[in-house]
Amino acid sequence: MAVGPFGIDPVIWAVLRLLIALVLAVLLVLNGALLQIYLERKVQAIIQDRYGPLHVGPFGLLQTFADALKLLGKEDVRARLTDSAFFIAAPAIVFAPMLASFVVLPFSKDFTGMDRNIGLLYLTTLGSMTVLGIVIAGWASNNKYSLIGGLRSAGQLISYEVPQILALVTVVLAVGSMSMVAITESQPGPLVNVLVLPLAFVTYFIAALAETNRAPFDLPEAESELVAGFLTEYSGMRWGVFFLAEYGEVTVVCAIMTTLWFGGWHGPGVDAVPALGILWFTLKTYAFVIAFMWIRATLPRLRIDQLMGFCWKVLIPIALTNILATAVLLLAYPGQLWPVAIVNWLGVAFLVFGLPFMQKRRLGRFRGRVRAATLA
Amino acid sequence: MFDLIEPIVFAILAVGIVGAAAAVVLIDRITSAALLMAFTFLCVAGMFLLLGAEAVALFQVLIYVGAITVLILYGVMFTPQRHRAYALFFQKQTPLAGVVVALIALPVLVFSFSFKDAPDLQPRGGDLIPLATSLFGDYAFPFEVASVLLLAAMVGAIVLVRRDEDEELP
Repeated sequence: MAVGPFGIDPVIWAVLRLLIALVLAVLLVLNGALLQIYLERKVQAIIQDRYGPLHVGPFGLLQTFADALKLLGKEDVRARLTDSAFFIAAPAIVFAPMLASFVVLPFSKDFTGMDRNIGLLYLTTLGSMTVLGIVIAGWASNNKYSLIGGLRSAGQLISYEVPQILALVTVVLAVGSMSMVAITESQPGPLVNVLVLPLAFVTYFIAALAETNRAPFDLPEAESELVAGFLTEYSGMRWGVFFLAEYGEVTVVCAIMTTLWFGGWHGPGVDAVPALGILWFTLKTYAFVIAFMWIRATLPRLRIDQLMGFCWKVLIPIALTNILATAVLLLAYPGQLWPVAIVNWLGVAFLVFGLPFMQKRRLGRFRGRVRAATLA
Repeated sequence: MFDLIEPIVFAILAVGIVGAAAAVVLIDRITSAALLMAFTFLCVAGMFLLLGAEAVALFQVLIYVGAITVLILYGVMFTPQRHRAYALFFQKQTPLAGVVVALIALPVLVFSFSFKDAPDLQPRGGDLIPLATSLFGDYAFPFEVASVLLLAAMVGAIVLVRRDEDEELP
C-alpha cells in the first residue's frame, strides 16, 4: 500500500491537505481583514489629522476585534420581500472565489499552494466571478438603490476587467510565462519589472482600484448617493462577509502587483534564509494596501460617465497600444528588454503629462460650444 | 488515488450539468434560470478540468460565468416581467421538445458508445502553448473571421444605442 507524506494514507492525506489549506486561507483572510481595517482607520486618521482608534487595547489595536465581535452578535435582519435564496447566496458567491485565489499566490519559494503555468489566468478568472455575486445581491435585495448599485457595479467591473487583463498580457509577453513562481524568478535582482513595464503597471493599478471597488471608483457602494448600493439591505455577518471579500480582494490584487512588477518574495537575505521571502512578500503587498488607503483618503469619487469614459477612451486604448508595441519590439529585438522599457516610460510620460493637457483642451472646446449655444 | 475520486467527481458534475440545464428550461423564474445557467457553465468547466484542459476550463469560467451570465442578468433585470405569455407558450411545448431532444440525443448517444479504442488523454497541464499555437497558427483564419464578426456586432450595438450629438453631457 502506498504511503504519503508523514506516513499517512494518500487518500486521507488528500482530504487533510485540503482541510489544512482551507483553514490557513481562511485565517489569512480573517486576520488580513482585521489588520487592514485597523490600518485603514489609522492611515485615514493620520491623513485627516485625527487620532483614529485609540482606547481599546494598545494604540487602539483591539478596536477591530471588538467591532468584529459586535458584527457577529448582530441580529440577522432580512426584509420580507427579499429574494431569500439569492439574498443568502450572494455573499458566498462573492467570498468563495476570493478565498480560492490564495491558492496560487507565491508567498515564498517553498510556500506556494499550486504552481501551474496558468496561475495568472486562474487569478483573473476568479476575479471576474465577483461581479455575479454583486449583481445577484443587488437584485435579490428588492430595493431600487441596491439594484442601481448592482447594475453600476456590473458595468464597472466588466469594463475595468478589460484593461486589467490587457495589462497582465504585457507582462506575460515580456516574461514568457503565466506561472506566478516563474514570473517571480524572472526578476531576482534590483531590475524588477516595474522598471521595464511601468505603463502596464500604471494601467493595472488604476484598473485594480476600480475592480476592487475602492475609492475613487467606489460607485457601486457610494455611501452618499446610493446609501451603500448593493449593501443597503445587508447587515450583521452577511455584510461582514462582503467586507471580508473586499479586503481579501484588495490583498490578492496587491499580491499580484507585488509578484508581477516588484519581484515577489525577492529581497535582501532571501538567498540565505528562504523563509524571509514570506516577510518580504507580505511587506510589499501591504505597501500597496496602504497606497490604496492613501488614495482613498485623498481623491474624490468619480461620476459614472467619467468612470466609463476613462476606461473605454483612455485605459483600453493605452493598454492595447502597449500590447502591440511590446509584442512588436520583443519580436524585433528578441531577448532584449530595453526597447520595451523606453516605449513604456514614454507611455507613462504621455499618460501623466499629455492626457490632462488634451482633456483641458477638450473641456475648453466644449465650454465654448455651450456658451455659444446659450448666447444664440 | 485519482482512479477512485475521478468517477465520483464526474458523477457529481454530470448530475449538476444535466439537472441544472433541465431546470433552466423548465423553471418559471427567469433570474433563477440565468443563475442556474451559470451553474451549468461552472460544472462544464469542472469537466474540462477533469480532462486536464485547465486553460479551457478557466476561459470557460472567465467568459461565460464572469461576463455572459452577468450581461444576461443585466438584460433580464431591464425587461418587464409581467407580460410573458409568449415565453410561456414556448415553455409548454413539452411533447414537441421531447421529440426534438430525442432526435438529437439518440445519434449522439450511439456515436459516443461507438468509441471502443479511443486514444489516450494528452498529459495533463501545460496545455496553454498547444492551445495558443493551434489558435494563432493552424486556425488563424477562422479566429480572425470570428473576431471580425464580433467587431461588427459591437459596432452595431454602439450604433443602435448611440444618442444624438447635441444631447451629450460634458
